[in-house]
Amino acid sequence: MAMKIGTGEFKERVDKGIHNSFMRSAVAEAQDRLRTRRLEAAEELGNWEEWRTLGEEIRKHTLENLDYYLWQLSENVAKRGGHVFFAQTAEEANEYIRDVVVKKNAKKIVKSKSMVTEEINLNPVLEAAGCEVIETDLGEYILQIDDHDPPSHIVAPALHKNKEQIRDVFKAKLDYKKTENPEELALHARHTLRQAYLTADVGITGCNFAIAESGSITLVTNEGNADLVTSLPKTQITVMGMERIVPTFEEMEVLVSLLTRSTVGQKLTSYITVLTGPREQGDVDGPEEFHLVIVDNGRSNILGTEFQSVLQCIRCAACVNVCPVYRHIGGHSYGSIYSGPIGAVLSPLLGGYDDYKELPYASTLCAACTEACPVKIPLHELLHKHRQVIVEREGKAPISEKLAMKAFGLGAASSVLYKLGSKMAPSAMNPFTANNRISNGPGPLKAWTETREFPAPGKERFRDWFHNRQKGGEHQS
Amino acid sequence: MTAGTIHHRDKFLQTIAKKLGREQRKTGVTRPYWKHQPQWSVFKGYSQDDLVEAFKSQCSRIHTDVVETTANQLAAALKQVVSNYGGGPVVTWDDPRFAEYGLFSLLQEEWPSEKIDVHVWNASIGQKNIECAEKANVGITFSDITLAESGTVVLFSSSGKGRTVSFLPQTYVAIVPKSTIVPRMTQAAAFIHERIEKGEQISSCINFITGPSNSADIEMNLVVGVHGPMKATYIIVKDR
Amino acid sequence: MKVTLFATCLVDLFHTNVGKATVELLERLGCEIEFPEAQTCCGQPAYNSGYVKEAKEAMKHMIRTFENAQYIVTPSGSCATMFKEYPHIFKGDSEWEPRAKALADKTYELTQFIVDVLKIEDARAKLKGRATYHTSCHMTRLLGVKDAPMKLLKNVEGLEFVPLPNAHNCCGFGGTFSVKMGPISEQMVDEKVHHIEEVGAEYLIGADCGCLMNIGGRIARQGKPIKVMHIAEVLNSR
Repeated sequence: MAMKIGTGEFKERVDKGIHNSFMRSAVAEAQDRLRTRRLEAAEELGNWEEWRTLGEEIRKHTLENLDYYLWQLSENVAKRGGHVFFAQTAEEANEYIRDVVVKKNAKKIVKSKSMVTEEINLNPVLEAAGCEVIETDLGEYILQIDDHDPPSHIVAPALHKNKEQIRDVFKAKLDYKKTENPEELALHARHTLRQAYLTADVGITGCNFAIAESGSITLVTNEGNADLVTSLPKTQITVMGMERIVPTFEEMEVLVSLLTRSTVGQKLTSYITVLTGPREQGDVDGPEEFHLVIVDNGRSNILGTEFQSVLQCIRCAACVNVCPVYRHIGGHSYGSIYSGPIGAVLSPLLGGYDDYKELPYASTLCAACTEACPVKIPLHELLHKHRQVIVEREGKAPISEKLAMKAFGLGAASSVLYKLGSKMAPSAMNPFTANNRISNGPGPLKAWTETREFPAPGKERFRDWFHNRQKGGEHQS
Repeated sequence: MTAGTIHHRDKFLQTIAKKLGREQRKTGVTRPYWKHQPQWSVFKGYSQDDLVEAFKSQCSRIHTDVVETTANQLAAALKQVVSNYGGGPVVTWDDPRFAEYGLFSLLQEEWPSEKIDVHVWNASIGQKNIECAEKANVGITFSDITLAESGTVVLFSSSGKGRTVSFLPQTYVAIVPKSTIVPRMTQAAAFIHERIEKGEQISSCINFITGPSNSADIEMNLVVGVHGPMKATYIIVKDR
Repeated sequence: MKVTLFATCLVDLFHTNVGKATVELLERLGCEIEFPEAQTCCGQPAYNSGYVKEAKEAMKHMIRTFENAQYIVTPSGSCATMFKEYPHIFKGDSEWEPRAKALADKTYELTQFIVDVLKIEDARAKLKGRATYHTSCHMTRLLGVKDAPMKLLKNVEGLEFVPLPNAHNCCGFGGTFSVKMGPISEQMVDEKVHHIEEVGAEYLIGADCGCLMNIGGRIARQGKPIKVMHIAEVLNSR
């Protein structure tokens, strides 16, 4: 699965999302629950704003010195006997990983959840090399066995599926005979996946935070799947987006605290695992060989631009969990594995405006995302910047809109034109007006009046009322 | 240990430097002094007893049982917990603290005499350890550092302290010496950071474990016990 | 106290009553109102659509128009926020940035002005009925005005106030969003109307004509017996 998911135009995808009633109630319920838990977790700390400021400072400093910290990280990984591969593109990353896998003569690969491996479309490459690739995060596992249904949320990938659907997938694809009870479903997955861990040749993980000072990688899960993926197979390959790095353990700690609280309102998740190199002399478990693949894949093009702050992202999904647009259209509407506000900012940057030009407009700029972000990415401002780029640099805005805005610019900058225009408005709208409202408006009003009444412009503008009142010199109260 | 390798680094990092509009940096960057450090104010001024209380109260929120005991009573307490979990097989670390805390006879005599299988991690028999851990009903380790705020035990791996003892068995018991309890992850991270600064080698696996494994991937319903242990107990023990 | 009213284009053209109520209310609270005839629009429709160049022309015009004001007061959280954004938008422009900053510094949303500047929390208003309040996004999150409207509404005689569930979620207006993304906007406003109904409110009160036009337009289309009022109208009821 690459970053781009689904087919069809944006409008069609949205339409499908809006008509998926189960998905919508699941998303709404999840949003309400996660929002409450996040706010409670922040409240408990008492000084959440200070935490956010610290998080932002750490991320900004790291990005400003990214080459230095990646240098330090790679030196330290190598010192501990690990292999580091810097991949400029998805293809380079996939090719390297495939070579390692082939060299190891691997047949079975277990994976823990990783958005970047989705982004670079790794699984098909490994499958083409003759490997069985098994996702072990419960949500990812469900999607994988359901013929690679794409994730709809960066943290809870199977949020759009209900338990009955999951039961049916298990029945169709696995030898499952029990009910839709989540505990029974999870237990079945436990047994199946346990065998996979024990017999896999290679384990592949993502990376929440790499630690430059020690050459370590940090994995954050609740299920513990990343631990088994990295304890049992003889070879471990970790794939990280190049920005997912912190200077030292102390910054990792702060960002993990922000991450787990922002994602699910937990103080820490059940498993936070810091791995450094392959197993040591005398160790029995842990990989004999460790590979770290550091992926650019378009990220460096964001550095040094007005969008740099998007690379501060720690993938907590707090913005997704508060977005009122995501709430109604779900993740698949975005057409990208990165959905919600962060997806609407990131997808056009990584995947280009041709595929993602609608996403920056799929927002009311309500700023709920910006308010929720634990590392203070000004998400709604970045969405606005995209709109500006689309209009000014990409020239992708519709002509009618350009003309309208040009007229707006002229009208609003000139009191004479504005007054004239506003005076004419009631008569211009007259044919569409009944009972002081417009129910079937022309032009851009059409979209409005399909679902809402629009007020008819008053015969007397406010300014006329005020003017007459002043003239009459009356001051009623 | 085989020597590590680094591939395709120069061009990659040069690209980054160029985009940032400056020369590549390999040295000369110091971590700034962060203006805000709210992490240090959590449980500031707490006594060890206060921390124990905070730790216990957090455990009630993470589906983890807590038992408090003294060093003298530890063996009995541990025996009870394991029995409540349905007995053996048991797998433990090869850790001198088991002897220090008087658990030697429980592991070597009492349990075997009751036909409870005990496997103490033994690096010399390699893969066999993992088979034992996989079959075990209970995995037992000590906590190296314990975090009061989150209810977390921190485990440093080594040849005697296998990673999988805390993941593979059906249930997990951590023995928490009271003195290991610190306010939060901040103190643990600072401790590890200091070791790195001094040039010491850190464990290849450092685990921060907070209760049993769980998932909310199916309709946001919490399922406790997914890939790792289904249940967890912490035994807080007053130090010897 | 002399107050310069920025009525907003929506009030000038469509919601005349809100403008009238604002004038009457402020006068009753002891202010003298001035209305610069040259005022047009804050520029937000163009700005939010990405037409920054066009928006800036409108903004410069507004800066010139309001330059001599002592206090600029507007019955719109969103338009007040836009004025507050001007210095950010003109950043680095040696002529316009300081002028934009001067404008931003003296701009107040209506309830913010009444509570923070006039130091009045009881506007001696009367309105009988069950009401809920829509917290508009820009006013709450960007302008940071959360408490002022609540303080004022609490003191309205006869008004039974009920909180709105999921008040934090946007109503789906978003300026051009409401027409560009019509189907999504419809779902958002539907949920909002559902919550307003759910609490049995007779009145929906808000402080932004954009949101009220959106929510009110949907309520009117569905023929629901809920009256939509701007907070200026509520505080002007006696």
